[in-house]
Amino acid sequence: MKRNRLLAIMTGTCALAALAATAAAETSVVQWDQFSSSGATSSGPAMEALIKVCEGELKDVKINRTVAPSIGIRDAYRLAVSADKTPDLAYTWPAASVLAGYARTNKIAPLDAYYDKYKWENVTPFYRGRNSYQGKIYAVPMEQDLMGVYYNRDLFKKLGLEVPTTYAGFKDVVEKLKAASVVPIAFGNKDRWPATNTMSLLMGLSTGRANEEKVFFGDEAWTNPGFKLAAETFQQWGKDGYFPRGFNGIGVDEANALFLGGKAAMNVGGSWFLQDMARNAKFDIGVFMLPPIGDGVAPGTMWGEGSQWQISASASDAVKDAAAAYVNCLTSPANRQTWVEKGYTVPIGTTAEDLAKWNTLPLVKEFFGQGLATADSNFYDLHTTLPESVTQVLYPELQKLVGGDATPDAFLATMQDAWKVAIDKGERWAP
Amino acid sequence: MQNGRTAFLFVAPALVLYAVFVGLPILQVFAYSFFTWDSGTIRGFGGLENYTRLVADGVFWTALSHNAIWVVLTLAFPLMAGLITASILAERSPRTVRLLSVLYFLPRTIPMVVVGIIWLWIYSPIFGLLNWFLDSVGLGNLGAAWLAEPNTALLSLNIAGAWTFFGFCNIIYLAAIQSIDPSLYEAASLDGATWWQKFRFVTTPLLRSTTLFLGLYAAIEAMRFFDLVYVTTSGGPGYSTEVLTTHIYKTFFLVGDFGYAAALSVVLLAIVLSISGISYRMLRKP
Amino acid sequence: MTKRLRLFQYAVLGFFALYALIPVYLVLLASVRSEADLFSGPLSLPWPIDLSTYKRVWFESGFQGYFINSLIISCSATFLVMLTAPLAGFAFAKLNFRYKELVFGLFLAGLVLPAPSVIVALYGNLNRLDLLDSHLGVILPQAALLLPFSIFMMRTVMEDVPSELIEAATVDGASIFKTYWLIVLPIVRPGLMSLALISFLFSWQEYLLPLVVIQDETLKPLTVGAAALQGRYGVDYAGIAAAGVIAFAPVVLLFLVMQRSFVRGLTAGAVK
Repeated sequence: MKRNRLLAIMTGTCALAALAATAAAETSVVQWDQFSSSGATSSGPAMEALIKVCEGELKDVKINRTVAPSIGIRDAYRLAVSADKTPDLAYTWPAASVLAGYARTNKIAPLDAYYDKYKWENVTPFYRGRNSYQGKIYAVPMEQDLMGVYYNRDLFKKLGLEVPTTYAGFKDVVEKLKAASVVPIAFGNKDRWPATNTMSLLMGLSTGRANEEKVFFGDEAWTNPGFKLAAETFQQWGKDGYFPRGFNGIGVDEANALFLGGKAAMNVGGSWFLQDMARNAKFDIGVFMLPPIGDGVAPGTMWGEGSQWQISASASDAVKDAAAAYVNCLTSPANRQTWVEKGYTVPIGTTAEDLAKWNTLPLVKEFFGQGLATADSNFYDLHTTLPESVTQVLYPELQKLVGGDATPDAFLATMQDAWKVAIDKGERWAP
Repeated sequence: MQNGRTAFLFVAPALVLYAVFVGLPILQVFAYSFFTWDSGTIRGFGGLENYTRLVADGVFWTALSHNAIWVVLTLAFPLMAGLITASILAERSPRTVRLLSVLYFLPRTIPMVVVGIIWLWIYSPIFGLLNWFLDSVGLGNLGAAWLAEPNTALLSLNIAGAWTFFGFCNIIYLAAIQSIDPSLYEAASLDGATWWQKFRFVTTPLLRSTTLFLGLYAAIEAMRFFDLVYVTTSGGPGYSTEVLTTHIYKTFFLVGDFGYAAALSVVLLAIVLSISGISYRMLRKP
Repeated sequence: MTKRLRLFQYAVLGFFALYALIPVYLVLLASVRSEADLFSGPLSLPWPIDLSTYKRVWFESGFQGYFINSLIISCSATFLVMLTAPLAGFAFAKLNFRYKELVFGLFLAGLVLPAPSVIVALYGNLNRLDLLDSHLGVILPQAALLLPFSIFMMRTVMEDVPSELIEAATVDGASIFKTYWLIVLPIVRPGLMSLALISFLFSWQEYLLPLVVIQDETLKPLTVGAAALQGRYGVDYAGIAAAGVIAFAPVVLLFLVMQRSFVRGLTAGAVK
């Protein structure tokens, strides 16, 4: 009798211990991201769905998710780091510059071990560089973004215009649009980042990726002929009426509304606008890649990544491992389809063939089909490549350049000065 | 009568609240400015490095000049507007006075963020109401990108800011005018003074301390205002609407250089406190 | 007064009335019209008034919640100010103690503080106090920031209370606190009312503080919610207008109803 009772107690204790152990073995990961759940094409629901999928697969990982406050995740992350409240895992932007800052101050953890473990081949060297600092890699980018020229097919047809295959042809199209009193390109730079994206596109098409790398990772100065061509082109667009009047005071939303309302024929924008463009256009909408501008430059487009996953350096090893495993699940090929179909984003590693098979908008397939075809010559996104202090100079200087208040030479000289200061302070990342 | 301990008890609750949530952050910012920071983390002791850097910072001087221009514009327009409307209203029936004073003050009750949104819309180049209005009265060629051109941006913003301020000036001046002895006006009338002369030689001098008070208030607000610019132009185009507070904000959040942002803040505080100190002393003169 | 002068004066008054009113009217107009005829069509209010945008913004875009949050935060901050400022104001007005003017000066210094300068340090402190992402994390700093103006106003108002009354009471044996509570406060009740209204107004308008401190969507006040509507891709002018009206209508109505009290509070201290 007594022995049975003892046995029962022992079994009970063991069971409890096992339960406690299992409960203790569940690691909680605090995640911050900016996927909102409001709006028809928000990615929030997909994020929630995938959290459940991955928690199910990983069994002992629990994700504690917070959607970033209105101040924006970039600023919120900055505050959190300064208050020693860095979230375990965050999906934030931009890469390179700001990432380098956090790496330099040991706020985020190097992820080389995890890259070895999980392979993550979809993150090609082109992306890896941007997310590294001094030889170590610190983030996992997830989405890919391209730039292109959205256009109003109906309007083009009405005016007898063809999609241009050369830059001269493009200028021709613009002149014909101006003659017909249509705003050629919808553009609003009040928020200052649109010009940076447009500049990224023009820069790559004026000078090519190899030359960009000579400046961004080498010793070449901004005041080189290729960059000058880009600056001149952008300024000429502003001066020659390519944009709506007063574009430096027009917001992104208004510029898009101008295009979507049929009052502007084209919209130089990124794939991040795809859902809004496709769903709100009252006309047949298409996209083409802007032809190269400089002599001998290969066709290509800007290729960026939106945001990236980064892990806090102060998290425990268990949490770091859990976070990495979770990210591995999120970015796995199996889940890419969910991201595309339900999250309205295109993960890195998705090919045009994949997209063709999946249930997504034709415009998405068209955009990525064209943009990914030039993968070898696609070039850099200034937002994620420049140190933050340089971006903050670029913003107002671009407004001046395109507004006609600064010459291309003056613009490049100012940028070179800011660039040099940043390099001397060790802010630049190098792949 | 010395009531040391009782007085302390009376003041203590406010003092504690104030010290924890206002006093402490000020001291912290002051301390931050003496260190060098990188991406929101302290790197090392910098001494006066951040302050010397300030002197050579072109953006700082540009921003400061914009704050100064803002002060002048505010003194010229809304302050004068309040004085004139108050002088006119002082002779009207109480009902008119009340109606119009309330009307003029209405914009002040609107949160600055919403003020920014409203005026963004008014000034918008494509869909904006100002250009639409100019078009409809045949002055379409005067239309411009008000917030987008460097020459007009700051002025346009100031008109939005003045919109919220002139009603306040009106109310303050009205109260002051109503306390002026009417016999002074009667005497002036007997001497054959016109309305305008009465305004210049009776009203205005007697309102000296009120004007100083409002001027001081305007100057302080002109140095510390933030919401309006942040929501509309963020300091652009270029740097044409950059003010000290937006420069500070960007340096804190976007660049992450807490030390330099702190130094900027300390300098801003010093400027404002000196203006206040000087004006306070002027106000106390009889 | 010549007729021409009178006409000129009315023109001036009328001009400023239009200046004050037109932007407000335009926002009201935008909030009750459909997107299509926002910029075409007449400038008169359509009849009957279409409140569907308000319904949408209130129920679907979360503004019902934002309104309640603003109410909670502003009422609480005002309450806190009323608890602390009159006490301190009385001490500065009627009591004597060492360093009185110095402490008063310290309070006044807070009047000139720009929010962006201290927000980072404040964030760190709030984090350590575990007050982030909570209403209290906004209420406490807000009340503290309102103190300089409030104490200045309370001091001015209480200085007007005849000292003889206070002396008479204390001679009769009442403690200073009792005198304050039973004699002084009732006399300055109008001033207290004004202070409450002005504190409520300023608190309602606060933007940067709640923007930074509050992360949880369900805790945000109206200012943050209204501004957030702006940054999305795709423009919703009617919605933004309606959100703006919801954000300012309560305090405008409050002001209209209690104007005299507001005005008295604002002029206290200015006209001395």
